[in-house]
Amino acid sequence: MANVETKPVVHEEDLLIEEYGYDDHFHEHHHGDKYQSNFITTYIFSQDHKMIAKQFLITGMFWAIIGAAMSLIFRLQLGFPEENMAWIKPLLGKWITVNESGVGSLAPEFYYALVTMHGTILVFFVLTAGLSGTFSNLLIPLQLGARDMASPFLNMLSYWFFFLSGTIMFLSLFLNTGPFAGGWTAYPPLSALPQASSGSGAGMTLWLLSLVFFVVSVLLGGINYITTVLNLRTKGMSMWRMPLTIWAFFVTAILGLLSFPVLVSAFLLVMFDRGLGTSFFLSEIFIGGQALDHVGGSPILYQHLFWFLGHPEVYIIILPAMGLVSEVLSVHARKPIFGYKAMVYSILAIGFLSFIVWAHHMFMSGVNPFIANFFVIFTLIIAVPSAVKVFNWIATLYGGNIRFTAASLFGIGFVSMFISGGLTGIFLGNSAIDIQLHDTYFVVAHFHIVMGVAAFFGMFAGIYNWYPKMFGRFMNETLGKIHFWGTIIGAYAVFWPMHYLGMAGVPRRYYRFDSFAAFGQFDLMNQFITIAAIVTFGFQVLFVINFFYSIWKGKKMTTRNPWGATTLEWTTPIRPGHGNWPGKLPTVQRWAYDYGKDGQEFIPQIQPLGKDEKEGH
Amino acid sequence: MTALLATICLILISIIVVQIGKVTELAGKIRGEEEYQEQLNKRQANYSLLFMVLFLVATIASALYYKNSMLWYGPNEAASEHGSSLDSIFNITLFFTGIVFILTQILLFYFAWKYRGEKGRKALYMPHDNRLEVVWTVIPAVVMTFLVVGGLDAWNEVMADVDPGEEYIEIEGTGYQFAWHLRYPGPDGKLGARDYKLITATNPLGQDWTDPKNLDDFHPSEIYLPVGKKVRVRITARDVLHNFYLPHFRVKMDAVPGMPTYFVFTPKITTEEYRRKLGALDLNGQPKYPEWHEPVDPSDPESPKRYEAFDFELACAELCGKGHYAMRRVVRIVSEGEYEDWLSKQQSYYESAIKGTDDDPYKTEETSEEPAVSETPAEAPGGAETE
Amino acid sequence: MNVTVAKTDYRRSKIHPKKFALLVACAGIMMMFAAFTSAYIVRQAAGNWLEFRLPDLFYVSTGVILLSSISLHSSYLAFTRGNTRIYRLLLAATLILGLAFVVLQYKGWQALAAIGVELTTNPSGSFVYVISGVHAAHVLGGIAALILAILHAFLLQHRITPARKLRFEMTLIYWHFVDFLWVYLLLFFTLQ
Repeated sequence: MANVETKPVVHEEDLLIEEYGYDDHFHEHHHGDKYQSNFITTYIFSQDHKMIAKQFLITGMFWAIIGAAMSLIFRLQLGFPEENMAWIKPLLGKWITVNESGVGSLAPEFYYALVTMHGTILVFFVLTAGLSGTFSNLLIPLQLGARDMASPFLNMLSYWFFFLSGTIMFLSLFLNTGPFAGGWTAYPPLSALPQASSGSGAGMTLWLLSLVFFVVSVLLGGINYITTVLNLRTKGMSMWRMPLTIWAFFVTAILGLLSFPVLVSAFLLVMFDRGLGTSFFLSEIFIGGQALDHVGGSPILYQHLFWFLGHPEVYIIILPAMGLVSEVLSVHARKPIFGYKAMVYSILAIGFLSFIVWAHHMFMSGVNPFIANFFVIFTLIIAVPSAVKVFNWIATLYGGNIRFTAASLFGIGFVSMFISGGLTGIFLGNSAIDIQLHDTYFVVAHFHIVMGVAAFFGMFAGIYNWYPKMFGRFMNETLGKIHFWGTIIGAYAVFWPMHYLGMAGVPRRYYRFDSFAAFGQFDLMNQFITIAAIVTFGFQVLFVINFFYSIWKGKKMTTRNPWGATTLEWTTPIRPGHGNWPGKLPTVQRWAYDYGKDGQEFIPQIQPLGKDEKEGH
Repeated sequence: MTALLATICLILISIIVVQIGKVTELAGKIRGEEEYQEQLNKRQANYSLLFMVLFLVATIASALYYKNSMLWYGPNEAASEHGSSLDSIFNITLFFTGIVFILTQILLFYFAWKYRGEKGRKALYMPHDNRLEVVWTVIPAVVMTFLVVGGLDAWNEVMADVDPGEEYIEIEGTGYQFAWHLRYPGPDGKLGARDYKLITATNPLGQDWTDPKNLDDFHPSEIYLPVGKKVRVRITARDVLHNFYLPHFRVKMDAVPGMPTYFVFTPKITTEEYRRKLGALDLNGQPKYPEWHEPVDPSDPESPKRYEAFDFELACAELCGKGHYAMRRVVRIVSEGEYEDWLSKQQSYYESAIKGTDDDPYKTEETSEEPAVSETPAEAPGGAETE
Repeated sequence: MNVTVAKTDYRRSKIHPKKFALLVACAGIMMMFAAFTSAYIVRQAAGNWLEFRLPDLFYVSTGVILLSSISLHSSYLAFTRGNTRIYRLLLAATLILGLAFVVLQYKGWQALAAIGVELTTNPSGSFVYVISGVHAAHVLGGIAALILAILHAFLLQHRITPARKLRFEMTLIYWHFVDFLWVYLLLFFTLQ
């Protein structure tokens, strides 16, 4: 990172910033750059938002690899339940039981531990911290023209709480009784009673502890994002001139701020039930040959609290991906995003509606069936802003001059995935159909496509597009394209067939299917899914190789604005130091999507409006 | 060893791939970035179009191939009366979403192909069009309204409890780690009171034997029901959450400790009829569903065919611990006459396991000398001393 | 949500980012208590709910924390006017009142247990313990901030710099917030 530009090249951006920019006397305050004085403050306890973004990204990738590898192991169990698994024993140790004839199999307790950890890791560590943590940190200050976050110190703490949370979860994998194994939703009584499952003892304690630290991390980050967006926009950057990425991160942060504290409340009450004998969620339980004293609690109350977070959480995952894709599609189609205001309003509508639909996860949980009347209506209303977004993305491609890069391909792939997965939500959100499909593989297919794969596609689009800004080099394009085609075909091959399993009634979270004639008739399909999952994982390995190889050996960035984008981050030096802009802060003169206007390829946001020019949206 | 070999293969593959990447980068340099990018655009645009065609063909073909596993279709038709109405809503939704799916996927990839970057092409400056926005806000909203109304209509009917005075059979399913315990009300048609504190090894449901309604309740190992009669299942759980799931009947409801739930449904087809349907032949005398004509045990062609061995099943659909995947009970739907026959053969649990033991509140001196049916735990209910 | 176009000059009359961040954090904390109180209402509606009268000690503690808010605010006013003695005195008084509040809450729990409502007796009582306990934890955070403020007040020379003013204002906002939070919770317990 020690490369410093030496050639005295004059950049047009610099001239514009010098002429119209806003002087905040940054250099008079920051002699000698106290933030990047040594290795530790530069790479470890860094307070620079760009470094924290990279920390979130690389930690997120670490967890993604672990979480995906776990899914391969339980997929092996589902596809090939009779196969000898003794060969993974060196890796999994006691999780694999080997019988006298040397045939190893995955014990059911550990199958459920793998499923639970896979869900927890992917939902929280990868798609919340790894996605929103990375790009909110990287882009909010850069695209808004801020020197850094409102509080760089809290921002650093946010990462280290995430790191601590991950460390605790990682340690729980090595417990004798195994990590928590009651599903990522951790419904009591299963999660509250150590007698109920081997993972509900120490495993659950560490799980709760880890997630409480995780929530602290999300809140510290979110407070910073909200404050930065509202307070630190540069001169001229009105809310209606913000790129859609920022809108998405902003609403995401608000959702997180309002929903994660509720999760902490639920966890605290679970802790009291577990440790201090209260009965918030427990009632009339006979377990392990013993009738417990708990009377009067309601397990459904936990589900309400959990899904009050849990549903906004899926939008916390998908909104940043939507923002990134909107930006990437527009830049690479060389066209303004279609219907900017409609896009903003739909983000706001989705954000708002996400708070009043939580009980659609609970239609079959024994709540009063008549509350469904309320929740079905609002759930299906969400389809409207979602549809608007899809049509706007497609209209953005219409009439474009599309440059196919790995980033834009993943953007297009995102839209395809979002359509496929979103449409199945219309089945599940309708309580009448949910009676049959609830907790079957149809649900697994739905949420993996719409918030798993789609969010990953948004993340990949973001990584390929902003990699040059992060590392000053490009990722290899050819490998990126191979990665894309392998992943989109592979992901559909894995998750599409699950719809058929689900419609046939096969329940999710089954260790094996052959106990039931109705569920055990899909051996071939399960084998196919498992093989497809392994192959798709191989393509992700390719991505990881490309990522790390390119940090040191990738094609160097020679111009500041390789994609010809209008937004502010590309007006900074190739390797921006702390404070992002060496001199004045840029002043924003126009909205973020002037592509192809008046015959010009693109007009950066820092260029003043022409004499008779009207701002375009 | 296998792992090592796999790792080596992986490393070799990645080295090759990295080399491919490098070579193409060089090619770009030699030919000039712009021309190279245009060529790439063309190739990737063609791939997009190819992908779209293959993807749509694959999804439609697989849907046709797996048609029989979809709700409403073929052998996966609902076996309960309310199930048909749910299946028809599923079908309507499938119709609308199917159209949207095909149209949007075609537009997406077709536009990607059509508007691939070419030298000299100028992108259209089209930031918004309010008319279009209104159109594609209103159309989904109308379709959604239609689906919501149909769905909620069916839902409220399905989830309604039995009306007072209505004739129905009440049964009870209790989930515990890891099985379902079933209870029928016996001749009086009423389930007796329970208290979880009374649960012992001999009294698995904690029935209160001082409640006379309990004395004729029996605990079968299979669900037997007459066709065409309304059934109300009382669903309870003893330890953690479970879910009473009858896939063929479109019945699913969580079992919650401390809070009984219910589901009301009417079976409309007997097990025998369902088997005949699965084994039906088409006009040419060929099996309609060949997969159901395969032997149950693939290694033994003489074993009964799958359709002959078919049974409705009860499963658990809420993660409840390590045995969650194996909580199976058989469900048999029979004619009214067979049902009466079966009922008459059932003995009440009180008669067979409790009467005369220390648990029996009606125990007299003579019966106490009979050998105990099973070991009784020390914490037997205190009511045992009455009379 | 404020989405009006900012036509005014850059950053004029805008709230300081750190202060704003604190307000956002308070909103997050508020959500947590909103969740607790919603859970309370939902659970109460399900029946099997023990009714009891809140011990009077909790009303006393409410008076104490209200008083502490007043004294801290007066201390702040003294600080801005440069009245060092009153500023220091009231700051110390606030700390004592804050500590007294926590002690009174503890006594309140003891009184609650004495009338037969222990932690595990019934969810209605459990909620009171948990909610007031979590609130007390937030008050302890405020007390830590107060101690810091006292160290500043007594060890440093009294000067009204923007940085010190901001720090004091943030302590003040947080203290008012936990005060307000407790009043809300008390009203909730009493009226429910």
